[in-house]
Amino acid sequence: MSKRGVANWTMALSLIAVLPLTLMPLPDAFSDARPYWAALVMIYWNLEAGRLRHLGQAFLGGLVLDVLTASLLGQHALSLVIISYLVERFRYRIRFFPPWQQAAVVMLLLFNDRIVQLWIIGLVGDRWPTWQWWLAPVIGMLLWPWLFLLLDALRQKERRRPA
Amino acid sequence: MTPSGGSWPAAIDGEAAARIARLMFYGLLAIVLMTLDYRGHYVESLRGLAWRALEPVFVAVEAPFDLGQRLGEEMRDRHELMDRLAVLERERREREAELVLLEELREDNRELRALLAASQRIAPSFQSAELMSIDLNPWSHRVLINRGSRDGLSPGQPVMDIHGVMGQVDEVALNTAQIILISDPDHALPVRVQRTGLRTVAYGSGRINQLRLTDLPMNVDLQPGDMLVTSGLGGAFPAGLPVAEVESLSRPVGEAFARATVRPVARLDRARHVLVVDSPGASAEPEETGTEGSGPDSEQPADNAATESTP
Repeated sequence: MSKRGVANWTMALSLIAVLPLTLMPLPDAFSDARPYWAALVMIYWNLEAGRLRHLGQAFLGGLVLDVLTASLLGQHALSLVIISYLVERFRYRIRFFPPWQQAAVVMLLLFNDRIVQLWIIGLVGDRWPTWQWWLAPVIGMLLWPWLFLLLDALRQKERRRPA
Repeated sequence: MTPSGGSWPAAIDGEAAARIARLMFYGLLAIVLMTLDYRGHYVESLRGLAWRALEPVFVAVEAPFDLGQRLGEEMRDRHELMDRLAVLERERREREAELVLLEELREDNRELRALLAASQRIAPSFQSAELMSIDLNPWSHRVLINRGSRDGLSPGQPVMDIHGVMGQVDEVALNTAQIILISDPDHALPVRVQRTGLRTVAYGSGRINQLRLTDLPMNVDLQPGDMLVTSGLGGAFPAGLPVAEVESLSRPVGEAFARATVRPVARLDRARHVLVVDSPGASAEPEETGTEGSGPDSEQPADNAATESTP
């Protein structure tokens, strides 16, 4: 699992950072457009480092997210499992895309996830999401290159230090 | 993917099939969990347990915001604070004057109740709390407050802001508690129309600024602008707390009941300081708990019928 201890701290840090990013208060107008940080971070670790590739990990992470955000138990679990499956399925294609194309794929994944979640919301009979809610995948796409560069840089640093 | 994959398509297929099987497995597991959570609340206690275990996360996320707020307060200059103090002092004096008048009314009320041989009302006591700087899922109709079992909170206690009823304490951890808002589709609140004394139940609608009355008789006397207050039935809420204002009433053709939409008077989406009411408990009105949520019972003209039968 831990290949020469590489990227352990970075991964732990990025996973911990997901929690405040997911829970921190946003102005009412943007609260629906909150980017799906958990999915972004999970996609990064799967694609670039080959970590968090098991569906079970996605499932557990989703459950933690469900409990923390008081969602229907299993909603985020299902959504992350589906994203994880799709990333794993097309991993060897997405990996070698140029960054902008990768960002587009990330947006597609997140958009697909919105549809999955909309399905759950519709079945439960909750209020219909506002248009900002559909903005979240676009914001995710815009964030992707920066997240990518940041985590890559952190990993490089970490790899150099112990060696 | 695998070294043997190139010449053995069957192996690839097998692996893909295994992956799909895993997807199916976890997908089904998630769907079963959601169904259980939605339908029967079977996983409620499990969820509460997990939530209590994850409490440190909330405290940790809240901490920097708390610190920022405190720093912001420190930075405020003296003049501003003095002005605010003066305003508050004036407000307090006005309130005190009002209280003197109320004291007289209370005395009257006590005497009248003694004449009617009705039981005494219990004056509810409050505990103030603050909402935490944490956004949950925008669909959850739940908020977190910074008081928990350490402060003596227990599930079921009513929560209000200065305008009216907000909700009820649901899950209690050591230092935090989850409040279920009255707008949650799962929440039902026994209410009374202040003008007519009609009793009914207000259901959450899933929208933050709307509640529903779904089982009103067709000939109901209800107008937009009527105030709803808690009826005190069920024993969870003290009677007489303001809940909502009637917005519109409709009598759908072919239905058995009229419906109304009402707007909560509490600022469910904006309140920051809340009051947790020390609930009177079931002991105050034990014989009425069975009638909660039993639909319209408009034949009782006033709500003191609920408390009359206690010696």
